[in-house]
Amino acid sequence: MDIKVKHHNSAGFSRLLVIWGITLGAIAICLGVTLYIIERSKQTVIPIPPPPLPAAANPLEAPPEPQEVNLFLLDTTAMGLVPVKIERRLHRELTQRLNQVVTALIQETPPNFRNTIPRGTELNGVYIDSQQTAYLDFSNHLTDGHIGGTTAEFLTVTAILKTVFDAFPDDIRQVQILIDGKNIETIAGHLNLSQPLHLPQ
Amino acid sequence: MTTRTHSTVYNEKAPERCVNTDTVPVKIGALFLSMLVFAITLGSFAQAPIARFIDANGKTVAEVQVQYQNEHVYLPVDAVKQVIDPETTHQYNHPRQRLTLKTKDREIRLQIGRPTVTIDPGAEPVTLATPPVIIAQQPMLPIDFFIQLLPILNDVEVIYNSRLNRLQIRPKDTLIPIETNGTQDLTIIVDPGHGGPDDRGCAGSTGILEKDIALTFAKQLQWTSRQHGIQVYLTRETDTQKTHFERIQVGKQKRGQLFLSLHCNASFSPHEKGIRIYVNNPKGQLRFPSTTKPALTGQRLKILAQANYLKQSKDLAYALQTELNFLTETPIQIIDLPLIALSDTYMPAVVLELGYLSNVEDLEKLSNSEYTASVAQAMTRAFQRYISAINQNIPPEGVEPQTPTSSR
Repeated sequence: MDIKVKHHNSAGFSRLLVIWGITLGAIAICLGVTLYIIERSKQTVIPIPPPPLPAAANPLEAPPEPQEVNLFLLDTTAMGLVPVKIERRLHRELTQRLNQVVTALIQETPPNFRNTIPRGTELNGVYIDSQQTAYLDFSNHLTDGHIGGTTAEFLTVTAILKTVFDAFPDDIRQVQILIDGKNIETIAGHLNLSQPLHLPQ
Repeated sequence: MTTRTHSTVYNEKAPERCVNTDTVPVKIGALFLSMLVFAITLGSFAQAPIARFIDANGKTVAEVQVQYQNEHVYLPVDAVKQVIDPETTHQYNHPRQRLTLKTKDREIRLQIGRPTVTIDPGAEPVTLATPPVIIAQQPMLPIDFFIQLLPILNDVEVIYNSRLNRLQIRPKDTLIPIETNGTQDLTIIVDPGHGGPDDRGCAGSTGILEKDIALTFAKQLQWTSRQHGIQVYLTRETDTQKTHFERIQVGKQKRGQLFLSLHCNASFSPHEKGIRIYVNNPKGQLRFPSTTKPALTGQRLKILAQANYLKQSKDLAYALQTELNFLTETPIQIIDLPLIALSDTYMPAVVLELGYLSNVEDLEKLSNSEYTASVAQAMTRAFQRYISAINQNIPPEGVEPQTPTSSR
């Protein structure tokens, strides 16, 4: 009778050890994952899940590797533009790649940075002509929602131009901003946008 | 005896510590004292307010430390030597509290606490807005002494900026009607930016709108300039919407020879402030391409046409910069950008951003009628400076335009 009790106790103890081991292991893994996520979130490089590839893409072709793209955003002082790196699987086709980059500029604003493009602005479409002029067609929020003033308008236009020229240094020479498919004179009444613009080398 | 014993025991046990306890308080005291002296010196330098005397070209002639009493500004008597006449001597009769200043050819008598100033020979007594006082046992002259007496003694004009304690001493008769001066008459087109219900420009936190500020400044400028014989026409007199083409048409109809577009600025940062002057430089940071589609040839020609006036536009910008610098704490920047208001203007043209509506200080100034009047006077002087430079064939001095910075 005494022996049975002893046997029963040692088996229960082993089981208890195993349960404790599994629990501690799980806690350690959870802690590790949490710390890893926190560390990753502190970095400037922000991983963004790749968009689904279009159905027309060759299924045999391997998906493109993630690339770093610089978005030009306002720093904490809101007085100057700084490049902020993001990672994105860019499409192989130039026009679609341009669409992805400009959409990222509109939509991605990491913490501690500020966008110069009014909230709610959408990219209707992009087009690149034979003279390497990129036409960026924005929704009217870009003009209607802008705070105005030459300084703010200059920063908005420069953020777009710098982001595009930094991502496509060899493919795009100048940029023309359109609103709802039409040429515009200006965004907020100051800068002349009636022609394509480029930045000095 | 007891003390001595204790001291002996202590010395025997820890002789080194005993030495330290003697010197440490002295060292701490010395350190504290030196820090105090340093802080006081630094504080006195940092807080010492100054009055700056500048000439007509904006160059500093003298900087004098001032003292405040009952919100009035006072300068030491020695400032007379720096500003009026370097050979000035002064005598102060302490019991009678009489101050006598002797310049090369004049004797100026003042009494502490009394506003009347007598000038010999041959000038009427002057009543100062603020009488001289004694501060720290020294006679001190109110700033009004310089504002009121400099025009009499040195035959000059004095403009005082009370906000910045800045006095501009300029030759008299700079603000006389142009026709009577025999100089070239010039028609100036002033364009109050924006207008109408759909084009309000930027807005301040108080609800004030760019289009309204621009119109107020433009009307004040028109009034001030006309007082001094300069013909100014506005592209809009009321809150109406006008295209850029229509504004240019007004300039053509009125045979305008200079175009000044007035705007207010806004920034994403609430700290950015100040006046900005813009000229249309095709070589600026944002450039039009060298090759464009054939359909845009007409527009390109217009831009090239404005580029032909770039030198005169810069001259007008320099004149505005020199005169408006008097009103600002930091020097005004001239920036080159392809602006819509300057793109197809067939005359020298400049855009003047009067201040940032996104900045609290600028917003307060732009809503102040006194500030509006002083800016209008400064702009009128800038027109006269520009016209006088044309007549004498002397280009106005100024700082070269900068390309705007988008990064810090």
